[in-house]
Amino acid sequence: MSDSAVMASSVRPATAARTRRSFRRPWMLPYLLITPNLLLFSAFSFFPLLYAFYISFHDWSLIGEVTYAGLANYRRLVADTQFWHALLNTAVYAVASVPTTMAGGLLLAVALNRRMPGRVFLRSVYFLPVVVSAVATGIIAAWMFNEHYGVINSLIVRLGGDRIPWLSSPAWALPSLVIATFWVRVGFCMVVYLAALQSIPTLYYEAATMDGASPYRQFWKITLPLLRPATFLLLILNVIHSFQVFDLIYVMTGGGPGFSTTMLVQYIYQSAFMTSEMGYASAIGVVLYVIVLGFTIIQWRVSRQSENVL
Amino acid sequence: MSGVTFEAGARRPGTRRTGNVLIWIAVVLGALAMIFPLYWMFATAIRPRSEVFQPVVSLIPQVLTLENFRNVAQRHPFLTWVMNSTFIAVIAVVITVSANLLCGYVFAKFRFPGRDILFFAILGALMIPIQVILVPEFLVTSWLGLLNSPWGVILPRAAEAFGVFMVRQFMVSIPDELIEAARLDGASEMRIFLRIVLPLSKPIIAVLVIFTFMWRWNDFAWPLVVLTDQELFTLPLGLNLLRGEANPDWGGVMALALISLLPMLLIFLIFQRYLVQGIASTGLK
Amino acid sequence: MTNVNGTGTAFSRRHILGAGLALSAASVKPLRAQAPVSLNFAVWGNRAEEDAFRRLIAGYTAQNPHVSIRLELSGSSGQLYQQVDTRLAGRQAPDLVRIQYQQVGRYAKAGAIVDLSGHLDGGLAAQFAPALWKAVTYRDKAFAIPHHTDTLAVYCNMEMFRRAGIELPRRLEDSWRWEEFIRIARMLKDKAGAPFGFACAWQNTAAYRFLPFLYQNGGKLLDEQLLQPQLSSKEGLEAIAWAQSWFADKLVPPTTSIKTNEQTQNLFANGTIGMLVHGDWQIPFLQDAMKQAEWQVTYMPRNVSMASDLGGNCLAVTRDSKNRDVAIDFLRYATNEANMRDFCVAAGFLPVRRSLMDTKLEYPLRPDAMQVFVEQSRTIPDHLAATVTLPDFSRINTKLGEQLDLAFTSGQSPKDTAENIEGTIRSVLKG
Repeated sequence: MSDSAVMASSVRPATAARTRRSFRRPWMLPYLLITPNLLLFSAFSFFPLLYAFYISFHDWSLIGEVTYAGLANYRRLVADTQFWHALLNTAVYAVASVPTTMAGGLLLAVALNRRMPGRVFLRSVYFLPVVVSAVATGIIAAWMFNEHYGVINSLIVRLGGDRIPWLSSPAWALPSLVIATFWVRVGFCMVVYLAALQSIPTLYYEAATMDGASPYRQFWKITLPLLRPATFLLLILNVIHSFQVFDLIYVMTGGGPGFSTTMLVQYIYQSAFMTSEMGYASAIGVVLYVIVLGFTIIQWRVSRQSENVL
Repeated sequence: MSGVTFEAGARRPGTRRTGNVLIWIAVVLGALAMIFPLYWMFATAIRPRSEVFQPVVSLIPQVLTLENFRNVAQRHPFLTWVMNSTFIAVIAVVITVSANLLCGYVFAKFRFPGRDILFFAILGALMIPIQVILVPEFLVTSWLGLLNSPWGVILPRAAEAFGVFMVRQFMVSIPDELIEAARLDGASEMRIFLRIVLPLSKPIIAVLVIFTFMWRWNDFAWPLVVLTDQELFTLPLGLNLLRGEANPDWGGVMALALISLLPMLLIFLIFQRYLVQGIASTGLK
Repeated sequence: MTNVNGTGTAFSRRHILGAGLALSAASVKPLRAQAPVSLNFAVWGNRAEEDAFRRLIAGYTAQNPHVSIRLELSGSSGQLYQQVDTRLAGRQAPDLVRIQYQQVGRYAKAGAIVDLSGHLDGGLAAQFAPALWKAVTYRDKAFAIPHHTDTLAVYCNMEMFRRAGIELPRRLEDSWRWEEFIRIARMLKDKAGAPFGFACAWQNTAAYRFLPFLYQNGGKLLDEQLLQPQLSSKEGLEAIAWAQSWFADKLVPPTTSIKTNEQTQNLFANGTIGMLVHGDWQIPFLQDAMKQAEWQVTYMPRNVSMASDLGGNCLAVTRDSKNRDVAIDFLRYATNEANMRDFCVAAGFLPVRRSLMDTKLEYPLRPDAMQVFVEQSRTIPDHLAATVTLPDFSRINTKLGEQLDLAFTSGQSPKDTAENIEGTIRSVLKG
């Protein structure tokens, strides 16, 4: 994308060829070096995934025998309104939380990239929630959002407002989760955007200022386009995260009220451990994996076409 | 020259300055909102039990007490939990960061049959929700005899797809010429990695250390099924135990949550200087 | 490394100790050689329960020095089942487990817990309350031993009751009728300044605590033979509509539906509700946390009949136990008369041995309140007990919770709610 990268890529084949001729790099060296990681991935990611795929064609209560079920679990899934409801919830949650968090991160990054008193301290404060564990986050969020003795409603009451049914009304439960997610994730988005902002050469802005472009115009014409790789990375990571969020919801709402906050992962957990249908849980899991994978590949393709990132 | 620029210069910095001040105020207010939940954790932890459930709570605790901390310390082996969490996080950082550096280096700088397929397979691992593979992963861990041991928490999470990805992105930007020159000088592959690649990789190492430490320190779903002995618990498991359905002692829960946060803060403060720099250097330009 | 060495030396020391004891024991009576045995015992529970379990273990290992038992504590019953099920899948389950009566059928059907019938004295069954012994049997064989029971009753904030001028019934026979109960809930709101009248502790996996209300109205979840659903009956629909009206009329806090993590005991302790339908095990917490107002316990409301919930737990040995004989021996010890009494008294539970049920236990904490629970426990319908201990009840329970939650929070009609639950019951009972 930058000039040096173009140069590097045009130089690379020649040097690579020379390397192969003049030095005897043992052919198995790369394989040897990635062996530890590959073994770990195989044992603890790939094999379990294949095993889950295998189980999805079976009935298994976990504590009893495994019996072959053919496509029954997948057939059931297609007809299961709860599955579709959970899928819809997951999509709504992703659509509500990913853009808000990223926009928040971007605004903060632009603001905190300026010179201002206490800048480093302020950045740290915004990043701080990222390091808090999901369990602790869920606990503190459930505690603060509690309708009857939570501090948020307590403040609202003092200011003369009515208690908001944060976690008990289907209309408010999802916004509560989105707010909690924003708190946890915005710092990460901010840091990635800050990093990207700092690698934009100041030269561009100096030139634009000389041409009389307003700061607003500079932001749209220079900053945003150059932040595209960061946006792409964040989009992928945040979407994956929003499809996998579990602990926070488990502690805050338990999936309720009704189905309003039951996500696919919650439904998987419920099927696996509460109704003891591991085969069905695995089938949902496989579908969830395919959705996330497909989504990532599409994002990859799109960004590759426009940007040539990787 | 002086007249015109003076006019313009006097006006523009003026509006910009008020603009800056407004932005600063907004950022500070936002920061207060961000820090409030942590303050609230603290305020609950040092409040006597009777004050905790008031329908309208006072923002500043009226009576300060350490009873919650004392209760936790008396009832639970929480120092043991701190030690366990520290052991697991530190060993995991050593293993994960080394393995990811090697792996990322290979994907960035070597060409070999099957490279892209392997790289995408590893990226694919990033997208597996833990609930899907929890049981099969448990079976593997059980076959390897790692149950109820810190290694059962460390090894299954030692390979991190995100880490491999970040390292690869970073190392792609290390000039090939540097490595070639060293090869021409007759340096061994080991020496090249240790003497040339690693010293250049400090920023990304800092990023990996922060994130790996954070993930292992905060892990919950996996240790919950692997560790059953209270003496082996990590802090999040202890926190979960305190929160248990019977009668959670909220002051105690908040006290432990606060304690579990401190080491993370320390790591963050030590490495935060490198954080932005490290992420900046992974090819976001 | 040090860890491994540590257990190694401990092991050998224990080995020597055990051998020595076996030698000295051999001179008294020729027992089989007592090789060291270590067992794992998975439980959940509050502080009082944990302490009681530890005392139980200490007592047993003092009598049997070659045995060591490690207590594994889970955060909640739900987490215990998740962990135990996962470990059963990996053939690594703990030797001993504390489970609810509702779970016996599920584990027994899958062969995950051991059939105890060949190991117990023939007369043992007769020493226990028949309904609870029935709850631990599957196909006429005992798979667990009842340990204790508990039930629901109504906690009352006496400050509010005095302000509203309401008296509590003195005898079980005088317990409130449904209309009376609702009238009192309204008075607590209107006259005593309670933000809400009451709340029921049926959150998360405890949806089955709706069933007492169903039975109070003369309804049933299943027919007499437990073969077909019966929730769509007139009585069933009325019971759902009644509970739904609590939410519609704002008599209960909206956060106290089923799919929520609200802790109703906190709402009672801080004066948000005037009455709390909860179990006896809340006594220690309320005794500790509720300082502002005095509280008492009264009986569950009733309509055409009285009913309360079958709670409590039993102890079982899993199929993965390598020392079944010792594990079963520990079960016998834990459920003998003296130990059952100690456990119930210490942790605030009701005994399940006939000999103890007939005597009055000396509860150190609020014996007046415990007495209400003891009396209330006699109203648990046998049919309810048989229903919730069906092998596949956990699947029915999940559906019950989710559909009732829709009725309470999203306005789903009682008819749809009952029909959806019946649909699941039919497919579960068929399979």
